[in-house]
Amino acid sequence: MISFRPTAEENRLLQTARDFAREQIRPQARLAEELRQVPQPLLHQASDLGFFLLELPEWMDGLEFPLTTQVQVLEELAYGDLGILQGFPGTADASSFFRLLSENPQIKNSQCSASGCGFGFLDAVSWTSEWGQSLRLERVAHGYELNGHSQPIRLAHQVAGIIACFRDEDGEWLVLLLHQSETPWTVLAGDIRLGLLAAGCGRISFDAVWVPEHAVLARGEEAQLLVEQALSRIYIRQAAAEVGLAKAALDYTVEYTAQRQAFGQPIAQFQGVSFLVADMEMEQRAVHHLVWRAAAATDLGQENAFQYALEAILRSHRAVSFVTNHAVQLLGGHGFVQEYPVEKWMRDAQAQVMLYGCESQFLNQLGERTVSGQNYNRSTLTVK
Amino acid sequence: MISFELTPQQKQVRDLVHWFAESEMRPISLQADAEHRVPDEWLVKVNRMGISLSTPGSQAHTHESKNGGSKTETLEQREQKKQSNRLSVIAAEEVGWGDPAIALTLPGPGLGGPPILASGTAEQKQRFLSIFTPDEPRWGAYGLTEPGAGSDVAGIRTTARKVDGGYLLNGQKIFITNGQRASWVVVFATIHPEMGRAGHRAFVVEKGTPGFSSPRIAQKMGMRASETAELFFEDCFVPDENLLGGEEAYQARQNGLSGFRVAMATFDTTRPVVAAMAVGIARAAYEYTLDFVRREYPKNGKSYTMACAQLANMRQEIDAARLLTWEAAWMGDLSMPNAKEAAVCKAVAGKMALEICAGCLNLMGPIGLDGHLVEKLYRDVKVYDIFEGTSQIQHLIVARRLYEQVGLRI
Repeated sequence: MISFRPTAEENRLLQTARDFAREQIRPQARLAEELRQVPQPLLHQASDLGFFLLELPEWMDGLEFPLTTQVQVLEELAYGDLGILQGFPGTADASSFFRLLSENPQIKNSQCSASGCGFGFLDAVSWTSEWGQSLRLERVAHGYELNGHSQPIRLAHQVAGIIACFRDEDGEWLVLLLHQSETPWTVLAGDIRLGLLAAGCGRISFDAVWVPEHAVLARGEEAQLLVEQALSRIYIRQAAAEVGLAKAALDYTVEYTAQRQAFGQPIAQFQGVSFLVADMEMEQRAVHHLVWRAAAATDLGQENAFQYALEAILRSHRAVSFVTNHAVQLLGGHGFVQEYPVEKWMRDAQAQVMLYGCESQFLNQLGERTVSGQNYNRSTLTVK
Repeated sequence: MISFELTPQQKQVRDLVHWFAESEMRPISLQADAEHRVPDEWLVKVNRMGISLSTPGSQAHTHESKNGGSKTETLEQREQKKQSNRLSVIAAEEVGWGDPAIALTLPGPGLGGPPILASGTAEQKQRFLSIFTPDEPRWGAYGLTEPGAGSDVAGIRTTARKVDGGYLLNGQKIFITNGQRASWVVVFATIHPEMGRAGHRAFVVEKGTPGFSSPRIAQKMGMRASETAELFFEDCFVPDENLLGGEEAYQARQNGLSGFRVAMATFDTTRPVVAAMAVGIARAAYEYTLDFVRREYPKNGKSYTMACAQLANMRQEIDAARLLTWEAAWMGDLSMPNAKEAAVCKAVAGKMALEICAGCLNLMGPIGLDGHLVEKLYRDVKVYDIFEGTSQIQHLIVARRLYEQVGLRI
């Protein structure tokens, strides 16, 4: 049944998220940016409302919501402020790995509770491993030795645990659970100014640290499948957040251009303005549906779910860049100054796009599979 | 619940229409384009098979239109019960994939169906929609556009002067699909140009009515197998009983029903169908070119990598446009206002389909000029960014709806 109608239960949840985003998140967006972290009272409120638990599995005391529900909530929260959403620990990307893993005592007994300090996610196997980092994982007695610096990752300054994806010197895929108490790291003093400043982005540095054997959550083909499935969920959730930001920028632009006068009339009366706003709406709606479809396909475990996830993140990157850029453009000089929110949204959008994959990477991945006719999800394999 | 899964009935319709498109339309596609017509014997054959261009108006006699829409029904019940808009876009994508020009030539009420279904009296629905039977192919048509008024519906100049027992129509219509062969045409005219939209009336003008002629068929860039006619009305007498909805409806609802509203409501129903056909055309070009690249391109090097990426991007664009048409159709099934969504899907699909056909031709290179289907699809698809309201009109509608929410009329 083709339907775009949320359930009654989802509608109630969305109303809560909507109110929280507009009444609590949005007013504190600038403060969070200045503090370079989400204000503690806001963190507590979000935690109390359960927004950190959406993706986490029940065995970690999470809500384990379907992705179709999550993407709607994430859109609402990002509408308030993407920077703050990305600074929420429970919404971090590592939660998608936990979702896919069956009950794991290492994780459950760790110092990091589900809604507390959270985990970071360090991806050293996909495109981000090809430049801008120097990580090396080498086998030693009873484990591995880890050296080098990562690319900037979200929540680097906050987390005490990291889910890390590597390939060792033999090319074998590994998914590791690193605890700072066991595998100490430092966060490099960086100089990040662009956007998502409340998300605590930073580079992780390891100096010949030992990674014990028991830190390996998955290896080989199982690890590769786990990474692909987790990335699929991460892409969909991040694309949903981008849809929310795009919607915020669009709505703000509509209101502003309806009021702003030039040549004796609201500038919306000029088709050069209103047609561009219509394009922003079309782009936002197009990606919105792609995200929902990817979420629905993933919930159903469909074969083409990973393809849909790639399509969603590819289009959402374009859409959020397009909409936030034109929001600044249509506000003119006001768009460029910090009295108005759109300049921040454009910066946040660009930082977000840089953190979550580049267009050519997605196109290449999609293209190879499209033309070769390869299945998008090796569903015969299961993650233990 | 949010879902993009087709029901068994929807899958059945999709598969059946696709089978027809592949086995009956495609084999005559290039020939029909070359001859500027669809063979008569083929039309007789498909009419006997009960195939017609499906628009929501085509379901005039179905269970759902007779029984749908009680006030106590929940949205969930309604969305399961009424599916004609969703079925129409699913079917339209497949016939667009088969051949868009032949699709528009399929017998049936065509775009004339929705206004009769939406605004006609019970007697009019029976009289005009019951003629579509397997014994002989028949067509309906929709006459709105004039030389001086296309997307600006409010600017139509065809007049309808009240006389005893009916109206005298005078004026000209252009770009009317199946206008010459149609058994009847829904024609929009004004009882007084200065009354603006309130003066608009919709009539059903039957073939052979004195004063009604369709002397010329347009020669076109694409869609060559589809008949596009000019209609002339010279003191053409149309009886009262052919005024769509009847005189009483206009008098009883002075601020409600008008020819303008009939035209606009029709667009909200037909634009998703047109958009779905554009999606089908784009998919046809994409699939043809994907096969071409697999067969012809060397499997390494920059050209191959770039072609793969372009094809992947095309698929994403097609998927996005399809979902927008589904949303507009779904809203139509639920009787939700969908003017903005209908305009969005039409604008996005029309633009996307042209870009994809152009991109496919670029991937094929010079050989694409010579006897390949995509070249024809490229010529066909341009009009999908024009008819049923140009892209610019769709932008205007979308913008108006957005600014209405903040209290500004643009």
